Amino acid sequence: MSQSDFTVEVFQNEYLAAGAREVNAIVTVTAPDSLPAAADSGGAGRAEIIIVDCSGSMDYPHAKIVQARAATAAALDVVSDGVAFAMIAGTEVARPVYPLDGTLATMSPQTRQMAKQVAANLRPGGGTAMGSWLRLARQMFGSNPATLRHAILLTDGKNEHEAPEALTAAISQCEGFFNCDCRGVGTDWQVAELRRISTTLLGTVDIVPDPAGLTADFESMIATAMGKAVADVALRVWTPQSAQTKFVRQVAPTVDDLTGRRNATGPQAGDYPTGAWAGGESRDYHVCVEVNAAAIGQEMLAARVSLMVGDQAQGQGLVRALWTDDEALSTRINSNVAHYTGQAELAQAIQDGLEARKSGDEELATARLGRAVALAQESGNEDTAKLLAKVVDVVDAASGTVRLKKKVDDADEMALDTRSTKTVRTKK
Amino acid sequence: MTAEKAQEPAAQEQTQPAAHEPRPHEPRPHEPTPAETTMQLPRVRDIGPLDPTIQLQKVQEPAGVEPPTREIPPQPPAPDTAVSEAAEAVCEPTAPDTVMTCPNCGEPIWPDDNFCQACSTELAPAVSSGEQAAEAVAACPTCKDSTISPEGYCESCGYKVPSGRDHVELDLGLVAGVTDRGQRHTRNEDAMALATANSVSGPVALSVVCDGVSTSSNPDEASQKAAQSAVQVLLSAVRSGSDLAKASARAVMSAQKALADMAQEADLFANAPSATFVSAVVTTTEATVCWLGDSRAYWIDAAGPAESRQLTVDDSVAQELIKTGLMSEAEALASPQGHVVTGWIGADAGDAKPHVSVITPEGPGLVLLCSDGLWNYRPDAAGIAELAGPDAISEPLRAAGKLVTFANEQGGSDNITVTLIPFPPRRRPDATDEIDPEATATYAATQT
Repeated sequence: MSQSDFTVEVFQNEYLAAGAREVNAIVTVTAPDSLPAAADSGGAGRAEIIIVDCSGSMDYPHAKIVQARAATAAALDVVSDGVAFAMIAGTEVARPVYPLDGTLATMSPQTRQMAKQVAANLRPGGGTAMGSWLRLARQMFGSNPATLRHAILLTDGKNEHEAPEALTAAISQCEGFFNCDCRGVGTDWQVAELRRISTTLLGTVDIVPDPAGLTADFESMIATAMGKAVADVALRVWTPQSAQTKFVRQVAPTVDDLTGRRNATGPQAGDYPTGAWAGGESRDYHVCVEVNAAAIGQEMLAARVSLMVGDQAQGQGLVRALWTDDEALSTRINSNVAHYTGQAELAQAIQDGLEARKSGDEELATARLGRAVALAQESGNEDTAKLLAKVVDVVDAASGTVRLKKKVDDADEMALDTRSTKTVRTKK
Repeated sequence: MTAEKAQEPAAQEQTQPAAHEPRPHEPRPHEPTPAETTMQLPRVRDIGPLDPTIQLQKVQEPAGVEPPTREIPPQPPAPDTAVSEAAEAVCEPTAPDTVMTCPNCGEPIWPDDNFCQACSTELAPAVSSGEQAAEAVAACPTCKDSTISPEGYCESCGYKVPSGRDHVELDLGLVAGVTDRGQRHTRNEDAMALATANSVSGPVALSVVCDGVSTSSNPDEASQKAAQSAVQVLLSAVRSGSDLAKASARAVMSAQKALADMAQEADLFANAPSATFVSAVVTTTEATVCWLGDSRAYWIDAAGPAESRQLTVDDSVAQELIKTGLMSEAEALASPQGHVVTGWIGADAGDAKPHVSVITPEGPGLVLLCSDGLWNYRPDAAGIAELAGPDAISEPLRAAGKLVTFANEQGGSDNITVTLIPFPPRRRPDATDEIDPEATATYAATQT
C-alpha cells in the first residue's frame, strides 16, 4: 500500500453458522489526505457548468429569478481560477449563455467578471425540458479535456416539455460522464424527477424552499466540487466463483443503492461507480454477498473490495467468512452492520410512508412513518427525526406510535423526501 | 491458545540456578517440583547393548574419490553410568567406506563437529516450524486452481488454503515434533523450534515450544520469533559447554527481547505480542526444563505410564485455584478464568522470571513438551504416556503425530504442539533433517 492509497476498513461478524450463506460487511473507505490530484495545478483538469432554469415560472414569484441570478454570481466567485466553466439557461431548449459558442471558458478575473454580468441578466420565459439541458452540458464538457466534471442543475418546476423517455435517455447518455447536483426551488417541482438525475449522475438532490437560501447552497456545492481531487473512483467487488453479490449500498453520508449500477469487469468482479472524491473524504458501504456454505472450521474469502482509480487498485479490504458451530460467535451481529441496516430501513420506511400518504393510504403511511420515527430515535438520527416531526405527530417515538398531520406543508414533506437518505455515522 | 494473560501478574516464583558449579558426578541441585517430590525415581535399569547397526546419516562419495582418513580424537572420560557408555558408543567414527561431507563446501566433516572445519558452515542448524511459513501451498486443495492470492485465498473458489504453518512435522533424529492448527482456530499460533548438537559429553537434543496468546497482537509471529531466538541461545550454550540452567534463563530473556522488539517496531505496546514458553535441553545424563506460562513438560518413562510425571507447574489462574485447595484440578480448569496465564513472555510481562528445573532420570524415557492444545484433553502424565505408546522412544515423530491426532479427534479447539526427545539422546536410522513435505502435502489434501 502506498501513501496515496485509500484506507479500507471492514467491519463484520465473519462467523457463520453451519449452512449459512449470507455475509454482510460495512466497508469504510477514506480517501488519503493527499490525493495525487489530477487537478491541483491551479484548477486545470476541473470543469464546472451551472444550469439555471429560465422557464416562465421562475418569475412567479419574481424573487426566484432574482435569487437565482445572485446565487449564480456567488457561485462564480467560488469557482477557482483556471477551472473550465460555462453557464446554461434552461427552458424547453438549452442555451449556452456563457460562453456563447458551446465550449468552456477558463476562469480568470476577466472571465469571471463577464460571466457574472451575464448571470445578472438571465431572463425567465419558456418551458422546461431538463433532458435537453443535460445533453448540452454533456456536449460542452466533451469539448474540454478536464476530467473532474461537475454541474449544478436548478429548476423550479416539473419537466413538462419533454417526454419521460427523453429525460431517461438523456440521463443515460450523461451517466459516468459528469456529476450533477440538483436543486429544486419552491415546491412546484417533483422530487422523484430530480432524484432520478442526481442518483444516476452521482450527485445530491435537495429542496430550497425559500429562494433566499439559493446563494448559500450554490456556494456550498461549488466549494465541495472544488475540493474534489480525483474523478471516476469505482468500488470493485470481487467474489469467489458461484458466489453472488446481493447488494452494494452506500450507507454514509447518505443511503444510495449502487447495486443496479454494477459494471461487470470480469467473471467474478464488478465495478460500482462512486464519482469524485476529495482528499480525506470518507464514505461507508454495506456489502452483502451470498456464498456457498463451507464446512465447519473452513475459512473463505467472501469478497475483496478494492478502490479503483482508473485501472489502479489503490486500497483494498477483505470480507471473510468462517463457519463455526459456536453459536455465541455466529449469532452476534456486528454493530455497524446493524446500525446501517437500520439506517437503510429508515430511508426506505420514509419513502414508503410518503408514497402511501400521497396515494391516500393513511393506514400504511402511519405504519411506515411510525417505523421511521422509531428507527430515527434508536439510531440517534436527530436530523431525520426533526424532519419527520413536521409530517407526523409523534405520540411515542420508541414504539413508533404516530399520527399523520392533517395539514402538512409541501416544503416540509419534500424536505423529508429529499433528505431522508441522510444517515448518521456509527462510532467505531 | 484461547487463554488470556492475567492483568496483574501474580508474584512470580523465582528459581535461581545454583550459585556454584557442581563438581563432576554430583547431581545438579534443582527446585523440587510437586511431581518430583512424590516421584519414586526409576530404578537403574540395564538398557542392554546398543544396536550396532545404528549409523549416522551419510552422504555417498562419488565413485573414484579417495575418502580421506582421520585420527580418532581421544574421548573425554565418561561419567560412570550405563547411559553414558551408550552415548559414547554413538560417537564412534563411521565405517571407513563412506564419509560425511559439508553441504556447503564439500569438505569432509566428522560426526562430532558442530561447524565445518573448512568453511565454518553450521552443520546442524536449529529448525523451527515457522520457517517454511512463507511458502504458500501450490494449488487450492478444494478446487485445484493454482492462483492463490497473497493473503492465502484461492482466486477461484475463495477458500483459504492451508498455510505453511497449519501442520508442520520436524524430525531431527534426536528430537521430533508436530504442530497443528487444530479444528477451530483460523491460524496456528503455536511454534516449535528443535535443534541437536554434539557436546563434550555426547549428543544433546533441545526443543522449545511457544504458544502465542490469542488475545495479544500478532500471536503467531510472537510465538515464532520467541521460539527461534530462544533455540539459538540454547544451541550456542550447548556447543560451548555452558551451564544449561543459566542458558535456559538467558534463552527466555532473548525471547523476551524478541517480543519487546516486535512491540517496538510496530508500536504494539497497547496489546503487546505475548506467548508462553517451555524448553528442554536433554543431554546423556539429564534434562533441563524451563518454562513460563501453561505450556508443559512431561517425563514419559519407558517403564510404563505409571512412572511418567508432569515436570512443570502451570502459571495459570487454575493453578492458583488448585493451590488454595478450594478446587480440584478438573474444577479449576473448567472455571471461566482457569486458562488465564499468570506468567508469559512479552513486552508487558514485567519482570516475570522463568522456572528452571533439572531432572536426572536413571533409565530411558522421553521428555515431552506440549502446548495446552494437547494437555487440555489429557492433563495427566500417565494418560499422555499411554497415548504416546511404548514405541514412542524409538519413533518419537510417530508418537507426536498420534498425540496431535488424538487432540484433533477430541475436538481440536486449540492449536496443538508436541515435541518428544528420547532420553538418552541417540541417533536413529532414517531420520531426516527437513520438514517432511509429504506430511504437509497429505494434510493439505485432507482439507477438501
